Amino acid sequence: MAERRALALGAAAGAIVALPLMLALTDRHLADASPALVLSTAAGTLAASALAIQPLLARRRRIARHQLLGSVVLCLVLIHVGALFVESPGDAWFALSPDGPTRARMALIATIALFGVVALGALRPRLPLKAGTWRLLHAYLALVVIALGIGHAVLTDGALDDAGTTVLLVLGAVGLLGVPAAHVARARRERSAGDAS
Amino acid sequence: MRRPWLLGLLLALVTVGIVAALVDSEVSGTGAENVGESGPERTVTTQSPAQEPAVERAPRRCKAIASNPGGTNNYIPDAPTRDSLGSGFVITGLVRSADGCRPLEGVRVQVWLATQTGGEQDNGTSVRTGADGRYRIETDPTVPQFGEPNIHVGYDDDEYGEVFIRRVVDLDDERAVVDLTLARRG
Repeated sequence: MAERRALALGAAAGAIVALPLMLALTDRHLADASPALVLSTAAGTLAASALAIQPLLARRRRIARHQLLGSVVLCLVLIHVGALFVESPGDAWFALSPDGPTRARMALIATIALFGVVALGALRPRLPLKAGTWRLLHAYLALVVIALGIGHAVLTDGALDDAGTTVLLVLGAVGLLGVPAAHVARARRERSAGDAS
Repeated sequence: MRRPWLLGLLLALVTVGIVAALVDSEVSGTGAENVGESGPERTVTTQSPAQEPAVERAPRRCKAIASNPGGTNNYIPDAPTRDSLGSGFVITGLVRSADGCRPLEGVRVQVWLATQTGGEQDNGTSVRTGADGRYRIETDPTVPQFGEPNIHVGYDDDEYGEVFIRRVVDLDDERAVVDLTLARRG
């Protein structure tokens, strides 16, 4: 039973990663695009998929994988942004400037929150924070990253429009609902452990 | 958690700050209004002051257009003159003088945009206005290289003050209309 469930979850995670990436890479907007733009799109799409998976890993207490995937998301976002600077430095600086479009501001705030959430995860043993405070901060920053990261992708015209937009909204919903679900699951586990003792 | 209300207040303030930062931004970037059109191209006749009824009037003055942020992105000076940059999308506009609101003939306007055939640095041209003060250049449709299809129109010759305009269009638009009202230098 547990094996079958793990298999189904693995298949779901595979679909979460593969479907958006396939949609993006086969979209007509990337048909004649430069390698930098293709790389940037692929990295951004994979990061969006990973954001949906992260709360699921936390819920199942796969902490090592959760931490590893968090670092991978950060690397993917840096590759996404770096490739945009290769594609067009002027447009990239403009996007990050105070005059940039809303979607770029969302991405900027999401990236700052991503640095925060990854740092919280990496430094947890060394931070003078109570467990409840740490969890609240981590969950808050994770929600900011998911909401604004997916919002950025939805507002961006290009490889993930139409069906791609629907897929992004589903990824966002899975991620945003996954955060409180992971906390409810942890509270239940702690309660049942308390009852057992 | 010793003071949960303090943390709650802090996170509420951060949330308000994030919302304010987003509300404060413009969807397509500062001053980048959507100038896209689709459907049949409009035929516009421009009435010159000579054709207007001869009545006594105060000197007319039109507000000069101002550059907007991002207008110079990927600008390469002195773009070569080309007959077209492809087909399927038209960029057009009326160039007038701020002083007198007259259509300006023979003014060089530079246009650049990203299309399927290349980025903004590869797709630029200089085009001159006709006797009616209008310029027109046909190009391949613009593509969303940076998240939204956008076009650039600039003027930086000697007679009038330079302007660099960044505007956006929708993916299915067939035209963009960018009018320029130029003020004399000095």
